[in-house]
Amino acid sequence: MRYAIEIKNLNLYISDRHILKNVSMDIEPNTIHVIMGPSGSGKTTLLRVINRLIDLTPNIKVSGEVYVLGRNVFEIDPYTLRRDIGMVFQVPNPFPHMSIYWNIAIAARLNGVARNKRDLDEVVRWALEKAMLWDEVKDRLNKYPNELSGGQRQRLCLARALAMKPKILLLDEPTANIDPVNARKLEEAIVSLKNDVTIVMVTHSPHQAARVADSVTLIYDGAVVEQGAASRIFLHPSNEFTAKFLRGEI
Amino acid sequence: MSRSKHDRLFLISFLPTAFIISSILVLFLIIFSSNSLDSIKMFGVKLFTESIWDPEKEVYGVLAPIIGTFTASFIAVFISLFFSLPLSILITEFLRGRIRDIFSSVVELMGGIPTIVYAVWSLNYLAPFLRSYIMEPLHMYLGFIPFFSCRPVTGFSIFTAGIAIGISIVPYMTSIIVESYRLIPSIYREACLGIGATRYETTKILLSLAKPAILASAILGFARAAGETTIAVVTIGNSMNLSPCIFAPGYTVSALIASNYENAGLYIYAESVLHASALVILFATLILSFAGLMILDRWRVKIVV
Amino acid sequence: MSRWRDVRDKLFILLVILMSAIALLPLLHMIITIAINGIQTIARAGIRFFTDIPPPPISRDIGGIAPSLVGSFITTLTSLPITIALALSAAILSTEFPSNPLSRLTDILSRSFASIPTIVVSMFVYALVVVPMNRFSALAGAVALSLISLPYAYTSFSSALRSVPQTYREASYSIGMNRWQTVIKVFIPIARKAIVVSILITFARAMGETATLLFTVGRYRVGVNIDIRAPTDTIPLLIFDFITTPFKVYHEIAWGAALVLLFIYIAIFITVKTIVKEVKL
Repeated sequence: MRYAIEIKNLNLYISDRHILKNVSMDIEPNTIHVIMGPSGSGKTTLLRVINRLIDLTPNIKVSGEVYVLGRNVFEIDPYTLRRDIGMVFQVPNPFPHMSIYWNIAIAARLNGVARNKRDLDEVVRWALEKAMLWDEVKDRLNKYPNELSGGQRQRLCLARALAMKPKILLLDEPTANIDPVNARKLEEAIVSLKNDVTIVMVTHSPHQAARVADSVTLIYDGAVVEQGAASRIFLHPSNEFTAKFLRGEI
Repeated sequence: MSRSKHDRLFLISFLPTAFIISSILVLFLIIFSSNSLDSIKMFGVKLFTESIWDPEKEVYGVLAPIIGTFTASFIAVFISLFFSLPLSILITEFLRGRIRDIFSSVVELMGGIPTIVYAVWSLNYLAPFLRSYIMEPLHMYLGFIPFFSCRPVTGFSIFTAGIAIGISIVPYMTSIIVESYRLIPSIYREACLGIGATRYETTKILLSLAKPAILASAILGFARAAGETTIAVVTIGNSMNLSPCIFAPGYTVSALIASNYENAGLYIYAESVLHASALVILFATLILSFAGLMILDRWRVKIVV
Repeated sequence: MSRWRDVRDKLFILLVILMSAIALLPLLHMIITIAINGIQTIARAGIRFFTDIPPPPISRDIGGIAPSLVGSFITTLTSLPITIALALSAAILSTEFPSNPLSRLTDILSRSFASIPTIVVSMFVYALVVVPMNRFSALAGAVALSLISLPYAYTSFSSALRSVPQTYREASYSIGMNRWQTVIKVFIPIARKAIVVSILITFARAMGETATLLFTVGRYRVGVNIDIRAPTDTIPLLIFDFITTPFKVYHEIAWGAALVLLFIYIAIFITVKTIVKEVKL
């Protein structure tokens, strides 16, 4: 399997408005692929097609093909699809009624990653370490997420997603709502995960993209403007629009 | 896109619930229509145009209870509006913050008090009070008006039942009106303030905006009152007598059923007559509830624009 | 001219306050008289008010309301599981698939039960349960109470489930949960306080029902029955029967019972308000 994710000629309409216009994209396994662009370009929508969370939006019409790990996402059961894909949302949403421990453990147990207490403990620790949150919460695993800061909650969400041992990780502007210090920590954690998962991350900040991306897609108004290896695009954008975006003028 | 297998199974798991709830309705219609059939076949239209209850002789006519139900409910809504409107205005216009919350909670509390409690109080205190201070004076001085033309003896009458039921639905109607008031976008209130309107003028304007909602609350209150049983049985006097005087004892359909259903099985047509009367009340309440809710919904949609 | 406007405004405020006071007066009077008369009865009867059975009509002894008290709880508590099972599943269905025809049907039916007069429900349950069983029973009463409680329980459970922010649905889907797991492991726990409040209010309302139970439980008050297949009595039914008799002692008991009922109702009301204050979502 050459690509972890392949998107071919994807068109998406929400309430008859053309939101995604003939998008095509290939993402190699174990890389960080960044989808960047100005606000409102359809980046989040594109991300949510990959794990079919787009199903939750009413009045949609889709055409085109999206393959995740070789399977067409529109032809398989979405609940099964989502077991291989973890997601971190723009606004952190750890389950408020579960402890820090159980927020992560439930993801592991549900997906068969671990069953008994000992294995669960191990996975929880592993996930928190990968999310760079272990040291800060190791003594209060049975406390609830409302005691954590925004940045910590987001890393908790990352740990929860990792506990599924997914093949693919989708990150929707994960640092948008947290402070710069925590944002950097989160970015570090993300970069360190490349060996375990394929990462697709959405951001509106070209600087963040430059820091973490192996490959990028620039989207504007629902259409792909330019895409390719990060090094090439950041140094030699072939499109005036891309150049403007990278300079921060858009 | 494929309809998920999980979703299909999920939906199927609700078939039992849907089945139970629908079959309740079906059973209901079957039981009531089949049980009413006998008496309607036997008595025809006379069942609803005459006023007799004589199971021994198997003669029945439920005109008095039907009219009594409507009269009492009408009085109830009238009284209730009379009290609910000022209460609603007080809560929405003049009270703020904690006081308002406490007040609303008190009204909410009143609204949930079991009607049997209202019945006890009405029997022992309201009825005598109404007889001595309202019914007797009205009869004495305005007895030439047909409504007041009979002498209130016991204090149990359609009038009493109407007032008692009316008092009991005040919290209900107040809550509908207050909730509707809250739905009125604040821009209207701000507009009133902007043109320097006083409290009184603002209230007048907002009330006129809320007219459909108030009408809806009256209709829903009427439906509520029509279905009310315990207060009615205890205060209405339980008489099949039909007269224009509201100070005379009378009947409502629910009071009739409550008083006679247990023994109705001993006779041939009694049960069937009661089922038929129940159907009448049922249809009336359903239609009124439907109408009231529709008016309310339509108004809600219009007002939020 | 503007002086008249001011005066009229002040008169208006006065009128509103006055009429509101008059509106509340009967209700306050009711609560006070129930309290006074009820306390008199219970004080005279002592603790036996809650443990004895009602006395014969001409009696100086007040006796008690034990059969009705126990019967009220048994009938209402038996109705709760039925109500919750039906209302909660209907609510889940309407939250997950609001536009599905099955869901819409259940929604309309559940809400329209609210317009049925309670005495009609009693007649229905009589034909449905009492006649086949050939006896009155607490079970019949429980069925009747469930039918009455269904609309309110359904709408408030729906409301509770809908109040859970959409983002948690996305979170649970994103870790591979299906709908049932999402509802049971995430939605219901998050909405638990609202659900508990709904159940408490349903309980309070059911305890106060009179007409609903008229032809179902049998008004059996010469002994305490715990078996739900046996006839029993409830407090509102006792009050209803006793106040329509001419016997003084029965009227006294009615006041006492009314106070007990009022007390239970207010206690639940206050509990609910306390829980709700903690919920500030």
